[in-house]
Amino acid sequence: MRKLIVLGWRRLSSNWAAIVPGLAIVAGLLPIDASALPLFARQTGQNCLSCHAGGQFPELTAYGRKFKLTGYTMGERATIPLAVMGVASASKVASTAGSTDVGADFPHDGQFEFTTASLLCCGKITDNIGSFIQWTWDRFDHQNDAGKWVSKSHIDQVDLRYADRSIAPTHDLIFGASLNNNPGVADVWNTHNSAFTPVPTYVPVGNPAGNAGGPFVDVPAAPTDQSLGQHSAGLTGYLFWNDFLYAEVGGYRSTEKPFTVLGDTRVSGFDSFQRLKGINPYWRLALNHDWGANSAMIGIHGMSAETYLDSADTGSPTAKFRDIGIDGQYQYILDPHVLTAMFSYTHEKQSYNDALWNLSNANFTGTFANSSNTLDYLRAKVTYIYQAKYGVSLAHTSIRGSADAVLYGNPTAVPDSRLWAPEIFWTPVQNVRVGLQYFMWDKYLGAKSNYDGNGRNAKDNNTLFVYLWAAY
Amino acid sequence: MRWILLAAIAALGLIGCANLERSRDLANPNVRPEVTAAQVCSNCHGLDGNSVSPIFPRLAGQQESYIVAQLENFRSHQRSDPAGYEYMWGISRSLTDAQIKGLAEYFGRQTAGKNAAVAGGSLDAGRKIFEQGVPEKETAPCMACHGANAEGLGAFPRLAGQHQDYLVKQLHVFQETEGRPGTPMKQITHLLTNEDMVNVAAYLQAFPGQ
Repeated sequence: MRKLIVLGWRRLSSNWAAIVPGLAIVAGLLPIDASALPLFARQTGQNCLSCHAGGQFPELTAYGRKFKLTGYTMGERATIPLAVMGVASASKVASTAGSTDVGADFPHDGQFEFTTASLLCCGKITDNIGSFIQWTWDRFDHQNDAGKWVSKSHIDQVDLRYADRSIAPTHDLIFGASLNNNPGVADVWNTHNSAFTPVPTYVPVGNPAGNAGGPFVDVPAAPTDQSLGQHSAGLTGYLFWNDFLYAEVGGYRSTEKPFTVLGDTRVSGFDSFQRLKGINPYWRLALNHDWGANSAMIGIHGMSAETYLDSADTGSPTAKFRDIGIDGQYQYILDPHVLTAMFSYTHEKQSYNDALWNLSNANFTGTFANSSNTLDYLRAKVTYIYQAKYGVSLAHTSIRGSADAVLYGNPTAVPDSRLWAPEIFWTPVQNVRVGLQYFMWDKYLGAKSNYDGNGRNAKDNNTLFVYLWAAY
Repeated sequence: MRWILLAAIAALGLIGCANLERSRDLANPNVRPEVTAAQVCSNCHGLDGNSVSPIFPRLAGQQESYIVAQLENFRSHQRSDPAGYEYMWGISRSLTDAQIKGLAEYFGRQTAGKNAAVAGGSLDAGRKIFEQGVPEKETAPCMACHGANAEGLGAFPRLAGQHQDYLVKQLHVFQETEGRPGTPMKQITHLLTNEDMVNVAAYLQAFPGQ
């Protein structure tokens, strides 16, 4: 559970001053040479789409899943085990109605900016050890007291694996362990924890709401098991048996020493309820079946987490989060068509230490109105790509939560929101992607119209988002 | 705590160093071909060479000379059909001649399984092309080179049980591109229609008595 983000009003600007380093590169690119590809492609010498469905990132093909499950150890260890990727984007909100300071409420609205870049390492390390380690720089991380934007660079997804595989005519068993900093990042179906964005468009871009704008392209709450990225350090063990059964189980703790390097900031700097107490179990089971050009998975996932109200104070009261969910994926991959669909539904039960909600408690903090709450979170996406170049996608996210007037400080007292996000995109060459998304809200913070008591409607938050992504 | 962590990492490093019998390294000449076949090739082609997805050709029971030629052609970039260069250039780039020969022997001795019922295409029309060719389009009977049972011979590949979609795509590669030079197939296919290709490919996937 994330503390509800106070709505940020963003400045409406018609200045489309574009920083478009990518476009010049696109025009001049030659057909891909196997030596000019990002890290894993350099390691294997293969085209990106051999592992990534239709050239989408991070969504994996059956072969890509095996690559990840065997610890990123297929191929030759790259001489320079690094890759980079970057995003330039612009988002424009439908309406700034209700804002008294559009400049502060809607920063960068309508401005095309280079917003984020990542460095990735290391792929194959030995025959049994490999990694996906990402370090990210966000140009517009936050504003300082003088209102100037400050950038930040920080650790991003980390998945360091040991893996092995015993395969014979009688069986095929892949097994291993992952040291990572995000529950579900070790999974290979990209359904219940998309490592790149909470909105299931699975595009390789950072959520612009985290950089240049407000929350309008993001739902206002999410289950805890999907909110611990880079705020947790975990060790999970997994196995994949006969291409059929996947099981993963492990525990996550906070990123105090010696795991400080896995956290994107000091533990004491985490938001409310993001510092884990003790060891918190995570589990996942999935059934997979491949036939012809098709691949399908149905799975369940869950986590039990306890976090502190105040991340700087382990004496502060805690809240417990029990997440359980179901997810699934279908892929049809046969040149020139790729059709993929996925969904994930998570139900969360939150229960709170007495001091957090009970007025009679001597240490009452006034954080919640109820002793417990629930949150239901659904994401789904369907994508069609032709020739691994021309794609269209439709994504959906909805959340529903029990009413709590203190937790959700809006008039409806619920976080209920519903988002549809159609997208069209073009991948002219495998490591460049241009896309246009339109985030459409038909409910926001509990209402279709006047959700804030000041006349702002859900559709006022509709946002047009255009991005250019490139990797090398 | 820190020492435990360092010790764990060191232990993992030692465990992880050499694992020739379960290696996925494609640039180590000491990895036996049977290990590469199991750890890497099987992901797409199946451990027994009977691949599931039509993207990846079945290799079970394939002619050894043919597999050797394809791997060498991928390694030298002489074969550049799309699926070929997307997947196989990287796989083959550092394989030694001995490894290539060993992989060909491994898949050559596997047993070809039956392939599931085909979608589309006329089996009768396909059999006619296979047995009699299409004289008016200067297409010789396939069986003349590929064998009466489509089992192949030497450099001419086995076709029986091969994925229809794969065969159709390769026939188009032969006809329309220079992606697979050095075979008689460009001449063989040059007047065939897509319908001809679908029909003969359907017949080959479902090849009777395979």
